[in-house]
Amino acid sequence: MIEIAKIRKSFGAVLAVDEVSFSVSAGEVFGLLGPNGAGKTTIIKMATLLTRPDAGYCRIDGVDVTEDPLAVKKRIGVVPQANNLDRELTAYENLLIYGMLHRVGHLRDKIEMALKTVELWDRRDSVVEGFSGGMQRRLLLARALLPEPQALFLDEPSIGLDPQIRSQLWEIIRKIRIDGRTVLLTTHYIQEAEALCNRVGILAKGRLIALDTPDNLRRRTGEFVVESVDGDGKLHQAFCRTREDAESTAAVSHSSIRVRATSLEDAFIDLTKERLGK
Amino acid sequence: MTVGYGWYPVFLREMLLFKHKLLRVGYVASAMVTPLIYLVTFGLGLGRNVTIHGSSYIAFLIPGLAAMTSMNNSYSWMATALGLNRIYYKTFQTLVQAPIHASSIIFGEIMAGMVKGLFASALIVAAGFAASPGFSVSPIFLLALLLNCFLFASLGVIVGMRATSHEDTATYSNFVIMPMAFLSGTFFQLDRLPGYLKAIVYVLPLTHANILIRKTLMDQQAWLSLAVLVFYAAAFFFYGAALIRRYNE
Repeated sequence: MIEIAKIRKSFGAVLAVDEVSFSVSAGEVFGLLGPNGAGKTTIIKMATLLTRPDAGYCRIDGVDVTEDPLAVKKRIGVVPQANNLDRELTAYENLLIYGMLHRVGHLRDKIEMALKTVELWDRRDSVVEGFSGGMQRRLLLARALLPEPQALFLDEPSIGLDPQIRSQLWEIIRKIRIDGRTVLLTTHYIQEAEALCNRVGILAKGRLIALDTPDNLRRRTGEFVVESVDGDGKLHQAFCRTREDAESTAAVSHSSIRVRATSLEDAFIDLTKERLGK
Repeated sequence: MTVGYGWYPVFLREMLLFKHKLLRVGYVASAMVTPLIYLVTFGLGLGRNVTIHGSSYIAFLIPGLAAMTSMNNSYSWMATALGLNRIYYKTFQTLVQAPIHASSIIFGEIMAGMVKGLFASALIVAAGFAASPGFSVSPIFLLALLLNCFLFASLGVIVGMRATSHEDTATYSNFVIMPMAFLSGTFFQLDRLPGYLKAIVYVLPLTHANILIRKTLMDQQAWLSLAVLVFYAAAFFFYGAALIRRYNE
């Protein structure tokens, strides 16, 4: 279980994270959505001991990250946003060192299994520098899973991946959820949050402005959206609770119009536009 | 402070990186080029007709070059690699997030720095055997070399942890390491220095490495230099460990 309570972090005069609280249960995939600079990565860094919070606390399975960092490090796996693999080492060597650092038992068998899971076993002796972005992301995931952590932090796990590889990655994350582990992920891809997350938190300017299941967030915004384009080509959206409301709204409009079901992306844009001053 | 098992994977990681570098053409040559230029210029060129205490200048120079080379290589690798890994490649994050103590991280890094320092020094020692038939390696020589590698690898960790950019690392080298290489008695006897400069030079750790590495017996001066080297090694080690413990992005 991951607990984040009233956590706050400033960098100089910039308030990056402002009293954010939420918890993620075992077996749950929780997504943090937000525009650039919303504070998603800073929250992950505070929960994974890279950045010290100014206030509040993060607990992993009840253990406070600042009070007992070693115990927390034994419980977490991290896929960072920026590739931090040793580029001059091979895929196998990267996992070997990581496994030794985390004292993984039966290490060689587990490395083989991890590399086979992400379909990199055939490239085990290749230097990481020559890997494509997608291969590096898969290797980062294999590395994070090697010690079988209870809590997994994925910071933009599928950034830069093509749809096929992204779909493979999602399958692995779904399997992790089935295994009963806790997953906290940040993403720019709304589709990813819809596909994977039990619940979603929406961040804007360091504050958590919404937290619910993807379905409830959509419902809260309105289940249907009426879209029209004016003479200047500007898109206008009106959210409605029912299809009947949406169709009657559409009926009074004279411009080009369509009615469709609200997506999580609509809810995200609607929730964040006020915060971002749009 | 616990070092524990965790230092070994940190050390092994650096050794694997070192192995990959060794396989590259030119790495060994680049580690040797500066000290060999000094050896040829000062030892075989300028110092050909100089004697010190009845021995050839080259016999005086080689232990100093070994100390200087061990300093440069132990320090530079740590300062540069750690700085780059922390600031640009972010690979240091994996060590910080691993369930090992800060003292294990620094100990593993220092051991790796020592291997690199000793490797480069061994090349100079080999050149010394070839250039000076009377040259020998005593246990005191080895002790001085090991301590020198340890303390400068520790200093490299400190600089690597404190630097905010790659340029910072170069600045530390230009203002600390380079002057120390020339002022600490590598190329000349310290008793020739004026008094005011001596006071500064005797504070520098490489001065004491140079004193100790040239001793054949542990006299009072040797014990004093040994104590100074141990003090610097311990101070740099604990300060470096504290910097790692306080790691904060």
